[in-house]
Amino acid sequence: MMNLTKQIREQAKKLLEEKKVDLVIGFGQGTELARTTPVFIDSPEGVSALTWGPFCANNLAKYLVDYKNAPGNVAIVVKGCDSRSVIRLLDDNQISRDKIVVIGVPCAGQLEWQKVADEVKPDATLKETVDNGDSFVVKTSTGDHTFNKKDYMLHRCLVCENPNPVIADFTIGEELPVKNYAERFAEVEELEQLGLEEKSAYWDKQFSRCLRCYACRNVCSVCTCELCVFDQMKPMWVSKRTNLSENTVFHITRAFHVAGRCVDCGECDRVCPMDIPIRKLNQKIHKDLKDLFDSPTPGSKEGLLSALGEFSLGDPEEFM
Amino acid sequence: MKAKIVNKGQLSGLLDKLAKDYDLVAPVKEETITLFKKISSAQDAFLDYTNSDVSPKGCFLPQSEKIFSYTYTGDSLEIVKPESAKKTVLFGARPCDIKAITTLDPVFEGEKFGDEFYSSKRENTVIIGLSCSKVLSTCFCYAFGGGPCDGTGSDLLFTEIGDKYYVEINTDKGQALVDANSQFFSSESTDQLAKDKEELAKKLAGEFVKKVDLTGVKELLDSDFELAYWDEDPYKKCIGCGTCTYVCPTCHCFDIFDFTTGDITGDRIRCWDSCMYPEYTLMAGGHNPRPTRKERIRNRFMHKLKYHLDRYNMVGCVGCGRCIRKCPVNIDITKIINDLKEVAQNA
Amino acid sequence: MPNPTALTPYPVTITKIVDETSDVKTFTVEFDDPEVMDNFGNKPGQVCMLSVFGEGESTISITSSPTRGKFLEFTVKRVGRLTEVLHQMEVGQKFGVRGPYGNWFPYEAMKGKDLFFVGGGFALAPIRSLIDFALSDQYRSDYGKVEVLYGARSVDDMCFKGDLAERWPKLHNTGIYTTIDRPQDDWKGHVGFVPNYVEEVAPSPKNKVAIIAGPPIMIKFTLPVFAKLGFKDEQIITTLEMRMKCCLGKCGRCNIGSKFVCVDGPVFSQAELKGMPKEY
Repeated sequence: MMNLTKQIREQAKKLLEEKKVDLVIGFGQGTELARTTPVFIDSPEGVSALTWGPFCANNLAKYLVDYKNAPGNVAIVVKGCDSRSVIRLLDDNQISRDKIVVIGVPCAGQLEWQKVADEVKPDATLKETVDNGDSFVVKTSTGDHTFNKKDYMLHRCLVCENPNPVIADFTIGEELPVKNYAERFAEVEELEQLGLEEKSAYWDKQFSRCLRCYACRNVCSVCTCELCVFDQMKPMWVSKRTNLSENTVFHITRAFHVAGRCVDCGECDRVCPMDIPIRKLNQKIHKDLKDLFDSPTPGSKEGLLSALGEFSLGDPEEFM
Repeated sequence: MKAKIVNKGQLSGLLDKLAKDYDLVAPVKEETITLFKKISSAQDAFLDYTNSDVSPKGCFLPQSEKIFSYTYTGDSLEIVKPESAKKTVLFGARPCDIKAITTLDPVFEGEKFGDEFYSSKRENTVIIGLSCSKVLSTCFCYAFGGGPCDGTGSDLLFTEIGDKYYVEINTDKGQALVDANSQFFSSESTDQLAKDKEELAKKLAGEFVKKVDLTGVKELLDSDFELAYWDEDPYKKCIGCGTCTYVCPTCHCFDIFDFTTGDITGDRIRCWDSCMYPEYTLMAGGHNPRPTRKERIRNRFMHKLKYHLDRYNMVGCVGCGRCIRKCPVNIDITKIINDLKEVAQNA
Repeated sequence: MPNPTALTPYPVTITKIVDETSDVKTFTVEFDDPEVMDNFGNKPGQVCMLSVFGEGESTISITSSPTRGKFLEFTVKRVGRLTEVLHQMEVGQKFGVRGPYGNWFPYEAMKGKDLFFVGGGFALAPIRSLIDFALSDQYRSDYGKVEVLYGARSVDDMCFKGDLAERWPKLHNTGIYTTIDRPQDDWKGHVGFVPNYVEEVAPSPKNKVAIIAGPPIMIKFTLPVFAKLGFKDEQIITTLEMRMKCCLGKCGRCNIGSKFVCVDGPVFSQAELKGMPKEY
């Protein structure tokens, strides 16, 4: 992983030195051993802050929207899943292709930082991470730890379909083979087996915990409305009050609003402070879109129309 | 100081009794999340936790709360207030979270205006703290004068030592609860456990990983509102969600609005609000005094590190570390403090 | 003594509505329980929270002086959800009021001085209470000359026309100056922006206090005029507007630095504002 970090830094440095970009958005070491944090580099000297490894879970693509009206160009470090966001943002005309430079990094999976933190001594510092195929070795100042991907990776990585970026101006390191760790929709299929009342009880329990912090919405790379319906004051469609009914309205509205555009990056799941399995809602929609329209994951190819933004004579017409 | 002992075998009996006599609020585990809820029996309590995902501040400032109900026709108006708070025991709160409640007190029990909703809950609640047995990498209560075994603000403080709880009685309210439930409290000597507790406190105090140095930070913030630092990293990476404020035990901002289904009745609701949201300060005419994430981030940290101190002579942060753990982009208040300290040193 | 029930409004009944402009109305209200008014104790410059049931609450300054009688006046511009509903209300209908909140104009410290008021557009409302206070029979002798310089975009945008044209000019030792931004056929008075008119009228800073309220842009250009005329920052008083929810210093949002506008303001001298962050 050190080698990849070096290559990312070199690429970033070159882009900044040659004035191809004014800013590089990438991953930097976070304040916890097993976390990175987004960094914004605007000078060639700053690139040493960039890093790479199994703790780069954030999807940085959303930040491109912040810079869409900035004067210069922006380079961004993306994983395979994040690269789908870049394509979606381009397709939604949120950003323009000539203003961004995509540094793609093939990704062998991302570990859940809390799970790693639970097993590493609190005062340990990170030395190096090594990808061993089915596991990562995390070398720290207080010893080495091996983390099985199956048990320690983010759920979303277990069903990764794009370990390699689908759009990139520069690719760092070798492309990785696509692995099928599990059936992509296994979790959703399990939920589908439940009866109506059981399903309702399941989601009621989840939604009742929601704090309405809107982290899932704000982190989402396809939530780009300038004024979100949940922030609107005149009229106030949904209040800030937390209760099951209004929380449910929020989650259902959010899920449907990104239907056909959600790139399944899983950031909503990762950021939820209450561990609500938000991604499952969108996965159900993904599954239905696949079953009904044979629709690929949004953003997985350039120029794909949103499944709900495209009409063909062959579309099923169950309701007519 | 007065102290007692509760043998571990007696705890569930005590909690069951408290659940009968009071509304008993205790940490519970829901799937992966630890939060405070009303429980009806001891077996629902989950005490093997380090730091709950959501703080128990909701006991006194619930996330959503009815202030009154109204019936209004235009020509007539009737307001009905909710019943006052029930007798409650908050059991198992950590020292940082209890200290946080003491920082909320001066806000709600203000100089000129009180708050009947907060105060009636506060008066009717006995707070039983539970010392920490572990320090997380994100903990830094020591930096603000707290500690893993600090009893500040609690009526009783339980400290787990071997197969016993050492119980410090910190207030009359705590004493009354002990007296009323004396069958669960052993009368054996507490001398040894008092020493053990001190040992534990000392041991845990040495385990903090976050090094936080506040030297010069307040003075810097006092002297310069427009620090270049606020143009840097933190605000660029902030995604503007309300997570940090909602998991924070000292954040107290709220919104007030009416909830009605369109007929002549409705409820006036108060609910948590977040200074991270753009519409928080947005005025009806369209002007916003804190228009971007930069102003909002600055306001949050100024509130924690300066404003609360200025107003109440009390810190606005207790070092629970929740915002660090829960922030989607790893904005870390301890890093901000240390960065500011450096700015102050180089100024 | 702290008032613990501060979040509950008192019912009031609308006794009079004046259409000031197409989007500004002045509501006169009386408390349903007269004892509330007897103990209200509002001072010029303070604000109230108005409850429109179904819409929530909004902070509105008390436009009337306590010296004028057992009623309150609120001048309200139709800008948001709540004020829109309020504007549809009729005489005899009820809404809720709680207050009074905030500090007030330092009318004690102003004793023995001349007062020079500057108001722009709708924003004569928050200072009108002090004008009427100083002009009241009870306190008139405490103050010297009372002058009001008021500007609006057009004749149609002028508020408190009756006060400006009839009531105030007739009172002893007053000076009323009105202006509109652009010439209009039916206007024979002064034409021009407020800052320029202040420069023309050129009030002397000697033993005088300037009380200014208006849109931010007007304030921005008027302050240097007063500085040029020799007014010190301590002699210039203004009143601020922020989004508020509780008005009790608890809900958090109206802070400017460590100060809450709802309890420490809304009245600030220019000297005080200079020591505060520019976050308003």
